[in-house]
Amino acid sequence: MFTSIDRISDSVAVLGLDGELDASNYRDLMTTGEQLYAEGVRTLVLDMSDLEYMSSSGIVALHSLALVYRGQAPHDPDAGWEALHAAQADAEAGGPHDQLRLVAPSEAIDVVLERTGMSRIMPVFPDRAAALGG
Amino acid sequence: MGESLGVTASLGVLAEVRAFVRSAVGGLGADKRTVSALVQCVDEWVTNVVVHGYGETPGPVSVTARRDGDDIVVVVRDEASAYDPATAPSFDRDAPLERRPFGGMGIALIRDLSSSFERRAPTGATPGVGNEVTMRRPALTGGA
Repeated sequence: MFTSIDRISDSVAVLGLDGELDASNYRDLMTTGEQLYAEGVRTLVLDMSDLEYMSSSGIVALHSLALVYRGQAPHDPDAGWEALHAAQADAEAGGPHDQLRLVAPSEAIDVVLERTGMSRIMPVFPDRAAALGG
Repeated sequence: MGESLGVTASLGVLAEVRAFVRSAVGGLGADKRTVSALVQCVDEWVTNVVVHGYGETPGPVSVTARRDGDDIVVVVRDEASAYDPATAPSFDRDAPLERRPFGGMGIALIRDLSSSFERRAPTGATPGVGNEVTMRRPALTGGA
């Protein structure tokens, strides 16, 4: 599912995704993202320009990584509500955060991001340069 | 009559199921948005069947696609635990990340992306076993 991991700096990485992101492989994305965070990455750009499909399992991965990159403990998706409520959440911060940035989702994936509310929570950029603030 | 696919449900066959739906629905004259929407719907449902329905004991899933006038109709049958999606909690897409559950998005997406979504017990099924889900959407999306 991964085509590349580009370390832009000690704190910024771009993860290139390709193929299909579904329930069979979404945990791989979570693991890779968590490893990068453990290595010091604090801004993770997910380049979706070659990603052909994403199910709601992919949204779970984005959700979990967004929390990790906000400095919250990673969650076990199987733990559901309890784990989420147990998390020390800066819920009042609400709004969009930009530690996780998405690049060039397809029209079909954009629909999934929009219908699940993710595109209002994490910024979506047309290309890598824009995501990196170039 | 339409086209059919029968597989043993597992996360490993999701790609095959999506490829079948993409090909079958496209072959029935659906536009790109309807193909994508129905691929998503079937994938979300079959994922639920695999993860929550069959669990540790995989079983059969069949997918049938056919044309019904202006609509594409996809039917998914399984022999897993009976599950009525009408009982699924609603999903609040406006909730902040910290307050939203990880589950429930699949059913919400199916509801959003199909024009009708119905589940019934398969004919002759043992009570509490099996699901027959019918998902429908116009072949041509139009201005939507």
